[in-house]
Amino acid sequence: MPTASLRIVADGVGRRYGAVRALADASIALEPGEIHAIVGENGAGKSTLLALLAGARAPDSGTVSVGGVPLVPATPREALRRGVGLVRQHFSLFDALSVEDNAALGAELTRGFGVLDRPAVRTRLARLAERAGLDLGALGLPAGALAVGARQRLEIVRVLWRDARALLLDEPTAVLTHGEAAALYATLRSLAGEGRTVAVVTHKLDEVLAHADRVTVLRRGRVVGSWATGATSAEELTRAIMGDASLPTLLRLEPPSVAPARFTFSASEGGLDLKLEVRPGEIVGVAGVEGNGQRELVRAIAGLEGSSRATVVLDGVALSGGPAERRLAGLTVVHEDRQVDGLVLDATLGDNLVLGDLGRCDEAATIARRIRAFGIVPADPSVAVRSLSGGNQQKVVVARALDREVGAAVLAQPTRGVDLAAQRAVHAAIVEVARAGAAVVLVSADLGELRALAHRLVVLVRGKVAAELPIDVDDATLGRAMLGLEQVA
Amino acid sequence: MSGSVGATMAVETLRMSVPYVCAALGGVVSERSGVVNIALDGLMLASALGGVATAIATGSAVAGVAGGVATGVLLALLHAVVVVRGRVDGIVSGVAIQLLAAAGTRFTLRALYDSASNSPSIEGFRLGPAGAGATEALARVLLDPIAWLALVAVAGVPWLLRSTRFGLRLRGAGENPEAAAAAGVNVGAVRIAAVALSGALCALGGLHLAFDQHRFESGMTGGRGFIGLAAVIVAGWRPGRAVLACLGFAALDAAQIVLQDRVAVAHELLQALPYVATLVAIAGLTRGARAPAGLGRHPDPHP
Amino acid sequence: MRRAKLRGLGAGAWPVVTALAAAVLVLDLLAWGYGEAPLATLGRAFAGTWGTPYGIGQVLFKATPLVFAGASVAFALRAGLFNIGAEGQIALASLAAALVGASLPAHTPAAVALPCVCLVATVVGGAYGAVPGVLRARFGAHEVIATLMLNRIASAIVSWSLAHGAALHGTVRTADVVAGARLTSLGTWLPAWRGSAVSLALPLAVGVCFAAFAWGRSSRAGREIAWVGLGARASAAQGVPVARRLVQAMAGAGALAGLAATSTVLGYKGYYEAGLGAGAGFAGIAVALLGRGHALGIVLAALLFGTLDQAGLSINARVPREAMDVLQAVVILVVALADVAARDAARREATT
Repeated sequence: MPTASLRIVADGVGRRYGAVRALADASIALEPGEIHAIVGENGAGKSTLLALLAGARAPDSGTVSVGGVPLVPATPREALRRGVGLVRQHFSLFDALSVEDNAALGAELTRGFGVLDRPAVRTRLARLAERAGLDLGALGLPAGALAVGARQRLEIVRVLWRDARALLLDEPTAVLTHGEAAALYATLRSLAGEGRTVAVVTHKLDEVLAHADRVTVLRRGRVVGSWATGATSAEELTRAIMGDASLPTLLRLEPPSVAPARFTFSASEGGLDLKLEVRPGEIVGVAGVEGNGQRELVRAIAGLEGSSRATVVLDGVALSGGPAERRLAGLTVVHEDRQVDGLVLDATLGDNLVLGDLGRCDEAATIARRIRAFGIVPADPSVAVRSLSGGNQQKVVVARALDREVGAAVLAQPTRGVDLAAQRAVHAAIVEVARAGAAVVLVSADLGELRALAHRLVVLVRGKVAAELPIDVDDATLGRAMLGLEQVA
Repeated sequence: MSGSVGATMAVETLRMSVPYVCAALGGVVSERSGVVNIALDGLMLASALGGVATAIATGSAVAGVAGGVATGVLLALLHAVVVVRGRVDGIVSGVAIQLLAAAGTRFTLRALYDSASNSPSIEGFRLGPAGAGATEALARVLLDPIAWLALVAVAGVPWLLRSTRFGLRLRGAGENPEAAAAAGVNVGAVRIAAVALSGALCALGGLHLAFDQHRFESGMTGGRGFIGLAAVIVAGWRPGRAVLACLGFAALDAAQIVLQDRVAVAHELLQALPYVATLVAIAGLTRGARAPAGLGRHPDPHP
Repeated sequence: MRRAKLRGLGAGAWPVVTALAAAVLVLDLLAWGYGEAPLATLGRAFAGTWGTPYGIGQVLFKATPLVFAGASVAFALRAGLFNIGAEGQIALASLAAALVGASLPAHTPAAVALPCVCLVATVVGGAYGAVPGVLRARFGAHEVIATLMLNRIASAIVSWSLAHGAALHGTVRTADVVAGARLTSLGTWLPAWRGSAVSLALPLAVGVCFAAFAWGRSSRAGREIAWVGLGARASAAQGVPVARRLVQAMAGAGALAGLAATSTVLGYKGYYEAGLGAGAGFAGIAVALLGRGHALGIVLAALLFGTLDQAGLSINARVPREAMDVLQAVVILVVALADVAARDAARREATT
């Protein structure tokens, strides 16, 4: 294993995407043998900085140098050639190809004449899989069949396959359980111990303090500071990340009524095995590690094609049919992926605000009301919704979902990736419909959001309710529940 | 009697499967690399004329094969460059290539041979025994060098995809072009090479038709390329299964020829049988089949 | 605002201009390759088309089915569907219209006969168009493959029908439609066009094309069809009846294609014969691409391809008319390429 050390330095780099400045005048130095964490809020520029360091994007200004030599041309191929490997969050595996093919693709071992040397590939793969903590039993499967944790390991194997001397990872633990994350950091630590350079983008401060050597904080596209983890604290980092932005005002929740359930859901197939009851005015928070049935739950409630069969009852009526019928019955749903399930990006803002409502409302008045009520910017219905910021796109989705007669509202990740102002608007709207008597199911990966809004928490593990907890439960208990270690209360 | 019908059917199935098989393998290679190719039929047609014209000009059947393959590769390269470099939708380009082949062959036929319907005859390969029996017919089918080449392709394409660096990169480019590029694969070059190979394979199909008839006839592919394409989809983009599907379609064709004077079903409707079968198959089977995830996706080369 | 709009128009025109230039260049090359003087060939092509009133009439006649076919392809394209099946839809609808038109009582007045025959063409074309729509919406079968197969099946049905009683004995043509079902030739009123085959089907085609686009822009179903085309998953999740809209888009496309029968059966021959109107369906794809999703664009593109078709006939004595079909393919490729280039340029401008 060649482990000659590789120092990676960004000097005053900046990058724009269209009119948006993602990063400005940022400098960072990644040292060999260290795990360097890069933290910041959504949209602070973390992923952009990592992409510049790995050659996945070219900087508009400033320079990136690898081992003292400028990274030119700034392409992933060149970076890889120089020993810098990027492990992305998405889109980098070949799902239909075997683990073996995934590892070798682009740096194949051949017997000459371009014929693959399968035995050599398998030998090398077995060795690297062990180092990266990838279960050797998985080697024959297609990558698409692997669980998220194993996919993450396979990504690392692919980078090691090319003898990378630096590993840059973009939110590697976002979809991992606490235990999986710890194991991943153990692997990273041993790789750093061999003199490799490791950088990790994350937003989990406890991980940073437990596993990283250095931490660099970004805020609004600028580097705020860089600390040795031993010389800082969670409080200091939180202040650096948030800046002087005031904390969101706490929303005063009224206690839920004692009336019987207004909305009930039950399913026992398609990866779901649970029953959910929500009273009028009640907000039930659904917590859980991503991929434990949240998606299936929301799709089944919405009645989307291909979703699992389930019994959904609203106001004593069993709902059938698809999203259109259910919406008419008073059920409204916000799906987690707004750009795919929520918006027709190339249609106009106005069209998107009445998507599915055509012929059932006064169009012009409805559009104007929804724009005004949620402060959507720009307020021009004729612009393409694609050109709106993420926060305003989310306001469109939520405005359309909640600006109506709502009997039950199911919202998945309603504020993921949006700015603080949009987040407040969305939270206020959710509280408002609950006050008006709707039964609300809030699915969120943001525990702060759940604590701020929900009356009680339901923890999903592998499609089942693993625990029902009050919102003031302590973090340790909640964490154990999310890992399936806590019994149903 | 029934034995002889069975034998004739088997031989005819084998003979008629060659163009389908070549087109389908061409389709698999192109689409597994991520480039939609609905112009398989046009590639076959143009290559058939290219081969016949070369054979007539040189008097050599071997040169004819080379000319046909060159025609198929060149036309496929046009499609590849337009789609991969020009980032034009593969279906749009495919329609244009199909039209170009159909009109271009008619134009060339008029220009070279002053005929609207067919070229002069060529000798081709006459390696088998003459005679009307099933045995002689089988010998003729098996002794056709173009059929040998097709057979090589039947074995070679799956091997190429599975066991070579090019095949692995081709599958990677079709499955996830962005990731393949990040892994250092020149996705554009791989795709262009794949489509060119697809043109060569289609050319074999067209050449088989033309050399079997010993001349070029206007529109002589008669939609076989489309059936080859359907076989690709029905087979879930897997070469082995596509070949089997092609044998099935060829058997339908053969049944139609063998049965047409025995059964009181109009031959016009029998001719539609493979198309109806295809329609039923794509309606029934595509739900299970999985297209290459990157099919038709051409990422911006300059992020 | 106005300036931006003008620039948008300019950006839209640029691929068209490039395509025309490329078409002229390729025609010159083909003529030259054929041993003819390129300029003289161009001259002959022009003289046979826009050079005489008769030529103009013939261009308009050839353009008429292309307007229907182009509108058909463009209509389905709004839903993100490629209707490669206009060819088969036209053939079946034409046959049906001719058979019904011939079976009406001899003295049926035009006010009854015409709507009746047009309705048959619309319904048959629409129903045949709906088949790939249903296959797509219910089974996920790709409409391009389905329509390619349906074209073949349609031609088998037509040959079978003609061979089994639909045609006059010993011919491949149907009986004449009744007089009331004929569309009057425009030469009746414009003596200069007398002898050319342009008929009332032309204004009908233009009217139908504009009406189809207006419906698409303003009706609920029409707008939802476009949303499904731009984002099927979001539309489905938000309660738009996606399956129904896909079927409607294909049925509407089939109906528009079917109406092309008015220009061939009703406005020209007065009967259907094997091969009548063949090629218009594929040309419709080129027309739709060149027409860029606007009614006026479709009409102008149809005129261009009608010109090519007619020009082919006028040069045929010296250069094979198939040269013009080659140009069709060239135009599709160049427009598509220039389109991507123009889009890239617009995006570069937007990001700087």
